[in-house]
Parts: sequence; C-alpha cells; structure tokens
Amino acid sequence: MSSLQVTKRTKYKTSVKDPGSPGALRMNEQKLLFVPDNRNSGTKVVVEFKSIQGHKYTKEGSNKPPLINLSNVQGGSYIFEFDSYADLHVCRDFVSKVLEKSRETSGTASEKAAVTLADEQLSTAEMQLRIKLLQEDSELQKLHQQFVGGNILTEAEFWATRKKLLDTDSCRKSKQRVGFKSVMISDIRPLTDGQTNKVTFSLTPEIILQIFAEKPAVHQAYLNFVPKKMTEMEFWTKYCRAEYLNHTKNVHAVAAEAAEDEELAVFLKEDDILAREVRKKIRRVDPTLDMEADEGDDYTHLPDHGILRDGSKELNKSQNEFYRRTLLQDLNRHAAIVLEGRTVDVEREDNTNAVAEALAHSKQGMEEADGNENKNRADRISRVTPIEDLQPADSLPLAPLSIKDAREYFDSQQVNALKTSRDASARMESRSCNTQEAYASMRNAISEIKENGLSDPIVSSDVAIKHWTTIQELLRHFWSSYPITTPYIFTKVTRLKDAMSNIYPQLEELKESLQSDLRHQVSLLVRPMQQALDAAIQHHDVDMQKRSVKSGEKPNGYT
Amino acid sequence: MIFKLEDVTVYFPYDNIYPEQYSYMLELKRALDAKGHCLLEMPTGTGKTIALLSLITSYALSKPENPIKFIYCTRTVHEMEKTLAELKLLHDYQTRQLGPAAKILAIGLSSRKNLCVNSRVLAAENRDSVDAACRKRIASWVRALAAENPNVETCEFFENYEKAASAAVLPPGVYTLQDLRAFGKQKGWCPYFLARHMIQFANVVVYSYQYLLDPKVAGIISKEMQKESVVVFDEAHNIDNVCIEALSVNVRRQTLEGATRNLNRMNQEIERFKATDAGRLRAEYNRLVEGLALRGNLPITDAWLSNPALPDDILKEAVPGNIRRAEHFLHVLRRLVQYLRGRLETENVEKENPVNFVASINAHAGIDQKALRFCYDRLHSLMLTLEITDTDEFLHIQTICDFATLLATYTRGFSIIIEPFDERMPHIPDPVLQLSCHDASLAIKPVFDRFQSVVITSGTLTPIDLYPRLLNFHPVVSRSFKMSLTRDCICPMVLTRGSDQLPVSTKFDMRSDPGVARNYGKLLVEMVSIVPDGIVCFFVSYSYMDEIIATWNDSGILKEIMQHKLVFIETQDVAETTLALDNYRTACDCGRGAVFFSVARGKVAEGIDFDGHYGRLVIMFGVPFQYTLSKILLARLEYLRDQFQIKEGDFLTFDALRQAAQCVGRVIRSKADYGMMIFADKRYSRHDKRSKLPGWILSHLRDAHLNLSTDMALHIAREFLRKMAQPYDKTGGGSRKTLLSQEDLEKMTNDGSINNMLY
Repeated sequence: MSSLQVTKRTKYKTSVKDPGSPGALRMNEQKLLFVPDNRNSGTKVVVEFKSIQGHKYTKEGSNKPPLINLSNVQGGSYIFEFDSYADLHVCRDFVSKVLEKSRETSGTASEKAAVTLADEQLSTAEMQLRIKLLQEDSELQKLHQQFVGGNILTEAEFWATRKKLLDTDSCRKSKQRVGFKSVMISDIRPLTDGQTNKVTFSLTPEIILQIFAEKPAVHQAYLNFVPKKMTEMEFWTKYCRAEYLNHTKNVHAVAAEAAEDEELAVFLKEDDILAREVRKKIRRVDPTLDMEADEGDDYTHLPDHGILRDGSKELNKSQNEFYRRTLLQDLNRHAAIVLEGRTVDVEREDNTNAVAEALAHSKQGMEEADGNENKNRADRISRVTPIEDLQPADSLPLAPLSIKDAREYFDSQQVNALKTSRDASARMESRSCNTQEAYASMRNAISEIKENGLSDPIVSSDVAIKHWTTIQELLRHFWSSYPITTPYIFTKVTRLKDAMSNIYPQLEELKESLQSDLRHQVSLLVRPMQQALDAAIQHHDVDMQKRSVKSGEKPNGYT
Repeated sequence: MIFKLEDVTVYFPYDNIYPEQYSYMLELKRALDAKGHCLLEMPTGTGKTIALLSLITSYALSKPENPIKFIYCTRTVHEMEKTLAELKLLHDYQTRQLGPAAKILAIGLSSRKNLCVNSRVLAAENRDSVDAACRKRIASWVRALAAENPNVETCEFFENYEKAASAAVLPPGVYTLQDLRAFGKQKGWCPYFLARHMIQFANVVVYSYQYLLDPKVAGIISKEMQKESVVVFDEAHNIDNVCIEALSVNVRRQTLEGATRNLNRMNQEIERFKATDAGRLRAEYNRLVEGLALRGNLPITDAWLSNPALPDDILKEAVPGNIRRAEHFLHVLRRLVQYLRGRLETENVEKENPVNFVASINAHAGIDQKALRFCYDRLHSLMLTLEITDTDEFLHIQTICDFATLLATYTRGFSIIIEPFDERMPHIPDPVLQLSCHDASLAIKPVFDRFQSVVITSGTLTPIDLYPRLLNFHPVVSRSFKMSLTRDCICPMVLTRGSDQLPVSTKFDMRSDPGVARNYGKLLVEMVSIVPDGIVCFFVSYSYMDEIIATWNDSGILKEIMQHKLVFIETQDVAETTLALDNYRTACDCGRGAVFFSVARGKVAEGIDFDGHYGRLVIMFGVPFQYTLSKILLARLEYLRDQFQIKEGDFLTFDALRQAAQCVGRVIRSKADYGMMIFADKRYSRHDKRSKLPGWILSHLRDAHLNLSTDMALHIAREFLRKMAQPYDKTGGGSRKTLLSQEDLEKMTNDGSINNMLY
C-alpha cells in the first residue's frame, strides 16, 4: 500500500498571494510531505491525511495558476502551486481518492484500504458494492477484518464464497425503480429576496416531471404550446405566475387574470383531463367503498329535499368555483400519482421535451391497456375480509420470508434434517465426512449455542458466537478447498490450518477462565467447536500423509 | 359451526364464535319469537352483521311453514354491497351444510343509476337524468309510439324483460348489484325492473333506509312487502336524522324560478294538447271527478316518485273541484309560487307553524288546505296526461308540490323557518324557506305498524333508553352488550394538552388559536412517525379541516407529515373522495402508509371501515358538536324539550358524542384487530361529556389516560403497539373464554353455564 505514492514539484504557499517556496511534494496513503528545495528558508510540511477535511483546486482554463488547497480539521489550509495542470490533476485525483477512502472507512481504515487495493482488476462499482455490503453487515465486516486483514484469506478468496451476495444485490439494484417521494415537491414555493418585489421559483427536471404527472392540463398545454407558441422559459414563467396567483387565494384576482390571458387560464381552471380520468377510475373502485353509488341512490336528498341549514350541515361553497383549485385536491392527486409510481426515468431524460413526450407515451399505453372499461367494471370485486380469529387458525396468511443469502437458509435446513440422525456425526469423525456434513454439524452446534447461550449467564452468547462465526468461516474455506489440485490451494489450506490450530488455545482459555463447577456447561458449548476443528485437522493430516506417500489410488478421505 | 339456540338450529359460517355474538343471537331470537321490535347495541368489532344474518336466515330455515321475509336496511350502497358479500359467504356455507333446501333468493336494490346496463342511458350525468333518460325510453306512451314508428328509441333491455314476462325470474342465490347487472346483461333483461319485480319473492332484500322510511320512495318500492317480515336497520344510530330528513323540504329562489319555468312549459303542453288531442285532458278530468285512485293500476314504467306524505295520512277522496281542470291547477300553482316568492323576500328570520302558514296561504293566495294537500297527486296525474318524460327538468315544481302536500297534511311536529341568509355567512344573501320535520317518530311509524319485527341495531346507541322515546316505539328487547376482549386491543386516550402543555380544544373561543392548530399538527407529526400503516383523522367540520390543513401547509407541518406517510383527504366531491379512499387502501397495502383526513358526520365517517392495517390509530380532533345557532336545530331542540322532556344540552352532547364514537369505532373489526383512539380535546376529560361514550369504549378508557399531553400519548402509543405486535392466545384462555368453538358451546349448553357467560 505504501508503494502507492505520488511525488511532484510544487510551490508551497501559506496564502494565495504568497509567492511560495519551491520544493517537492510527496504523498502516500497516510500522509503528505513537503520538502522545500532550500532547507533553510522554506518550511517542511508533514500532514496526516486523517486531519485533512476537504480540497479545492482551480479549474483548467481559468486564468489562475494551477493551485490545490487542502483544508484541515482545525480550519487551516495548505496551498500548493503546481508547474502544470497535468500535475495538478494527478495530485487532485490522488487526494480525492485518499480522502474518500479515509472518510468511508473512518475507524477501520486499514481494512478498507485492503479491500480497495488488493484486487486491482476490480471495477469501482464492484468495489463499492463490497464496501456497501461490509458497511451494512457488521458481522461480515468483523470477519473480513479478521481474516483478510490478518492475511489468512485473500480478498478474492473471502468474496468467492459470497458470490451470491454480490450477484443478488446487484441485480436487485438494477431491477427496482426508485419511486416518487411522498413529499409533494410539485408544490413549489416562491422565494423572495426581501428587497425587491421579485419572487423566484426554481424548477428541476424532477419537479417538472411531477407537475406533468399531477396536472395533466399543464402537460397537455406544454405539448401544445412549446415550442410553437412560446419558449419553454415563457411557458414556465406563465405557470409560475399562475401558481403565485393561486397562493394569494384571491379568487377574484385569479378570475380577472384568467379572463385576460387565455393561456394563463389553462393553469388556473379546473383540470378537465383530471375530471375525465376520475370518472373512468371510479368504475374500478371496490364497491364497498363506492360512495358515488350512494349519491345515485339517495332520493331523500333530491334537490331541495331534506334538511338544508341544519346545524350538522356544511356551508355551501362560494360561487366562483370555476377558478378554485383547492389544496385538498392537489394533495389527493399528488398521493395518487406517488402510488402509481414513476413511469418515466427522469435521470435519463434531461430535457423537458423528452420528459413530456415520454409521459405522454406511457399514458397512451395505459389507456390502451384499460380500454375495455366495462370489463373492468365487471371485474371489480368487493373486498370482504372474513373475521380472522373466528376462522380456523391455519388459514392465517404468513408473511413471506425474506432471505438475504439463500444458502444460509438451506444450510440451516440441513441442520434440522441432520438433527434426527445424530449418529451420522459419529461417522463424520471417521473421516467419511464431506464438506457439507462438516459444515452442517457446525451450524447445528451454533444453533445449540445460541439457545444455550441465551439461557447461560456464564458465557455471554456474544463471545461464543464470535468464536463460532470465526470457526465457521475458516471451515467453510477449508472444506471448499478440497481436493487440493494446485499449489495455490495447498498454501491456502496450510494457512487455514494454522489459523484453526490457533483457536484451540483460545477455547481452552475460555474454559479455564471459569470456575470448575461451571466448566462442564461451557465445555458442552465448546466441544462441538473442537470436534468440528478436530475433524478438519485430522482430514488435513491424513491428506498430507497421503501426499507424502504419493499413493494416489485411494480417494480422498478414506483410511 | 352448527349449534342449537333453543329450538332453532343456527348455521354460522365460521368455526368459532364470540360469546357476545351468541348472546346477541339469543336476544334477537327472543324478539322474533315475541313478534316484537327490539333495540340492540353491540360494539363494533364483534361481528354484528354476520350474527344477525345467520340468526335470521337460520330462523327462517327452521320455520318453513310460515316463511318470514328479511328486509335489511343499510345507510349506504357500499354498506349494502358489504352486507351482501357477507351474506354470500353465509349462503355458501348453508347450502354446503343443508343442500338445496337452504337455497334462498337475496337481492340488493338500488336506483337506476346503479343498476342500469343500457350504455346510452348511463351516459347521463347524474341520477335524475339517468332516471329521466330511462323514462324517455320506457314510458307507456313512448312504447306505444315506438310500436308504430320504428325510429322512436326504446330500451332493448326493458323490451326483452317485458317479452320474457313471467319467465323473467332470478334463480335462487345472492345477488349484489354487480351480480344483478351481470345477470341482466347476460340475459338481455333490464336488471332494475327485474330486481324491483323480484323483491316481492325474495327471502332477503337489502336496500337503503329511505326505501322504507322516505314515503316518496317507499310508496313505489316497498308497498307490497308482507307483514311477516323482519326489518333490520343496521348502523341505526342516526336513524332519527334520516327520519326527519325524509319529511323535510326547502324552497329557494332557484326553486321558484325553476318552478315558474316548469309551469310555463306545462302551459304550452296544455295548449298543444287542446289543439291536437283535447279528449285526453277531458278524460283526465273525468277520471278525477270519479275519484279513481290516482295510482294503483298505473304501469310500472310510468310511476315516478311517490307522495311525500305517509301512506296513512294520504286522503283517499276525490280531487277537489277547483284543481281538477289542468288550467285551473296551473293557476293555483302559480299563485302558490307567487306567494312563496313574497314570503322569501324577508329581512328577518321567521318561524311559523304549519297551521298558521296554511291559513295565511288561504288568506293571501286563496288556496285552501284541501287543495294544497292534493297538489302532489294532481301534479303527478297532470304530468302523466301531458306525457312528460324528462322528469329531471320538473324537479322544481315537484318540490313545490311536495312542500304543499306535506304542509297541509301535518299540523304538528313541523315548523316553517324562513332565513334571509346563512347565519355563518351573513354577507351572502341566500334566502330559504324550510319546512322542517322535528319528529323522527312520524316517518318510522308506518314501519313499526306494518311489520312484525323491527330490529334497530348499531355499535353506538348510548343512551339506549333515548331511542324508544325519539322514535316512539316499545321494544320487547332492549339490550346493550359489552365486549369481551382477549387482550386490550383497543386503546382509547383523551389528549387534553399539546406538546407545549397548553390545552387543546375546538371550542369556539379556542378554534382560531394558532397554538391549537400547531399542537394538533405536532401530535400528528409525532404519531405518523411511530404508527405503522394507516392513520385516520376526523375533524369537526369541512371548514375547520380546510382551515387547519391550510395552516399546516403554510407552517410546514404538512410537509413533515408527508415525509412519513402519504396524505389523503375527504372532499365534498364524492367521486374524488372515493378515489382517495381507494388510493389510501393501496398505500396501506403496499406498505407506504397513509393518513386519511376526514370529517365527523361526513360520508366517510358514516360507513367506511378502517379495519386492520387500514386504521391503527384514529384521532378525533375536537368534539363534533352541531352548529348550535342553527335555527332548525333550535326549533328541533325546543320540540324535543316540549314533547320528550329532553334537555337541550343533553341532546347536543349525546349527538356530538355518538358521532365521535362512531368515528373512532371504525378501526376495530374483530378481536384480532387492534387500534388506538385519541380524543384530542380537553372537553373529553369532563365527566358529563365522556360518560356519553358507549360502554365498550369507556370500559377501556383508563383513568391514567384521561388527561394526557402529546409526549405521554406518544409513550403510551409506543408501548401499546409493541404489546399488540406479540402473538397471543386467541381463545382468551383461563376461565373466561372470549372465543368459543363448537365443542365449548355444546359443553356449556349442557351444563347450563352458557347462561352465566352472557354479556
């Protein structure tokens, strides 16, 4: 790691104005070192990257000299001027990489560095995925630190057994589309600068997409007006003006403005397209919710029948309904759109035209899909929930099991299967065991320890589990290395065997640390671990013997 | 499960039963045996509907020699659909157990708007135009014309239905509105008229209250129901309001203008007929002289809304001479409209009783009481004579005639109130003349008289002794059931203070306080972050909800709420609200979670369930009192005080609290369900208010939860949710079982302990 370093000619400055002292800047993963040419006049600078918070640099093409400015945690800064932009870029890239790394790892710095540097052929995406996985799962991180950091396993070996984790994760990421946020971003608020009467609205592609989705009339208007009648800028200015008018809640002003400007009126009027959509959608609603049907059945409230101005009745709304789009409607509409989900990928579509058109396309598609309304009406069914606790118990729905690593699930299933035939584990010790059986026995013991550990106050279950996960990881690699075909695997197995041998004293220590009367219980916990290790080591020894004898006739694991 | 309830074998479609369901059935059965009326309050979340359905259908099955008809009234169409869906489940079970012997015919009935399958008729916008569009195609004179002229449009569904004649029947089964439409479409028969025909033969009829309570509708739909019927009013806590609404009419400026237009048009028609077919008008005159029944032998297609007065009160005499001739009748109506217009131009609020009002009509417009009383029937006859089909255009004159008929029929229990403007918006002149009914017992009286058993049931009938007085009947059984809970799955709380420890309330003087709105907002912000899935909020009125949401929007509280959950709102537009509800469910189903803002006394509070994960918490912001300065309300309170000695304050509190209880009760559907209820107003902590809540809520309202602030409520909510997430023993265990299996039931019946268990 320390071999990775950069050396460049530069000038060190205390401020931008300072002419600076020329010298050499040397940077590696941990720190940067500046040595001035003139040992007497210049200052030598040694800074740990840990204390660096951020960096700034001048852009190429600006008139300024190529400068990089590193600010430290205390608020001070180090400025270096380079000879050329090329040098600056090399240094900048290096610094940013190092800084990013140190930020991510913060605490487990060395371990993370190992991740990123051990396999240079890895793409950054893969690396990030691994880092993410480690961050999400602290157990995994501990293991990684212990083995890869402790040079027992290489980075590639560690991840090779977790290919699924990497695969499923990446394909899940690609499949799922990010939905809309629950927060209503289309409700744009004007910003005032406080001095002039000007207000500012800011729109992003994301906001525009939501506006289009939530207000089909605006969408339609955009397709009609831009760019034939007005520019995009003019369009949005008009829209914002309409929004502003709506915010004032002055119905009369709105009506007056709308009367003057027909394009503005489009934004202020009630949305016809929405009204049509509502009529269409209502036919698909669950009949047990359909309140519109009530209205169709209510002859008591014929016009002018029933009680009008009772204390329980609401006021009738004012006359100028036409230009009153209410907040409540907007909220309902927004929530409906969020539920419908995103139909257009906004990241892909940078310009508004494309967004508008893509949305129009997807809408058209949807309309075609539900062209047969009457059929939909026939299909809708009432939701009847039977009273659940009156029913027999077995019909209760179960939440589907969510498994991150499917293999773990099947392994534990095998444990259950093996539990019934414990005799098999005796055979395992006579070395007819295969990888899976050995591993299964491990799992078995783990589950036992988990149970016992909970009820056992003497040894905290954490300690036991820590040993277990360690042993489990080692054995997983150990058994998967057989049969040994290449020298590489051979060395790996040797490494693993050494690591396993080191665990014995630790387990003994665990036992010794307790009073004698409790020792029995602990040894119950520890014995399965020892047995599993014994089996592995015995297998190793036999295999070694065979290799030295070079009698290759008998298959592996047979005495 | 199948069990014996005294001499009736009950078929219950579940494997287990709650003890309170058993008790409920027992009380119900005793009422049916006694052929009397009953009043039963049973908490929501105890499977009231299914208990009711299975007892009554089993009762009918066990007594095949004298079959009873079962008329189930719901308040809304969606409740009707829900009931029919449950009935379907039950019917499937019963036919599985008993074979074809258990087959029954059960249908739901609604308006043309909801049943029509003719796409050209359905294209009409609202209910009244659908009705008119239908009549335009099926009225007897239109069909007669179409027989000669093939260009006259008729409805093929109705023609096919007519052609099939007596062969047009529904095979046994349970039909929701959806099923009826599908059946009609498949056979090519009109589902609406098929259903109307079939209700005479059906074992179970499900329709909305007004088909029995509103004489206008009941007169044409429910005339021929047999006496041996059991009538059930479900969710009947508001039945008194339905009754008085059914008999109330308003006249506004627009009504009078429209009525004048209608009269002009009728005048033209009369002139036209005089020129072309004078014999027709003469024939009508002769019929009226002879005093033939106006309706009765009318073809079913020509019937329109019926007389607004109750059948017992309708005169069976001949139409008085001065309105027999069409022109004369129009003159009378013109004078009436003119008189009403004059009365409407008042500057002050006026209140009068019907007797005086009739007298002054007689004095100023020269129309006597008897002529007024016949207005409705005379109009109806005239419209038939003139062959008017676009009934939706003639609603205004219909209103005027309804008004006249009601006014002249009833001398007590009504008052006429003329207001120049709405008290709450004094700057907008909107004069209205209201004929309002105060006596709920009037509309329901014929139902009690006509049918053998009437069952009034709901989750909220507290105080239970008030309803017999309001509705003037004598129940043979009047019971209020408690709820046996396996675990404390409901958690009512009274929140009196906000996070800043200041009191919260929607009391008039605190309502506009920004601190209260902020505290309410903070409460919700905190709750959305800890409560999973759905939260429902009820406000005291639309205007208050509007105001408070606008405040939250401005102060950014709404944004904070939306960071956790999507927001859906009930608006006054029914279609929009329906979609909002549908989306709300989707949001809860997909795990995003949502908040629904609704209004007490609104349509959602009346009949939408928020069971299971659709409602884990309901917050009632404020006490939903009526607007107490309303003139109509004051008149009604006065009437209640004079007639029933009910104090104004008591009635208002009772009314507010039944609404609140109704709102919060929507979150529980079964004992496996759970939900919290927050009453956010300091007034709920007062004993006189709180004690009006139904017993099943009060019994779970701990003393420690009576005076909470936001942070304390938050703590309780966290604890509660954690506790509820644990698995539990559904049967309740121990000595007191909350869930009975068939075995338990048999054992308890044999050793007699079933009687000790009753609730």
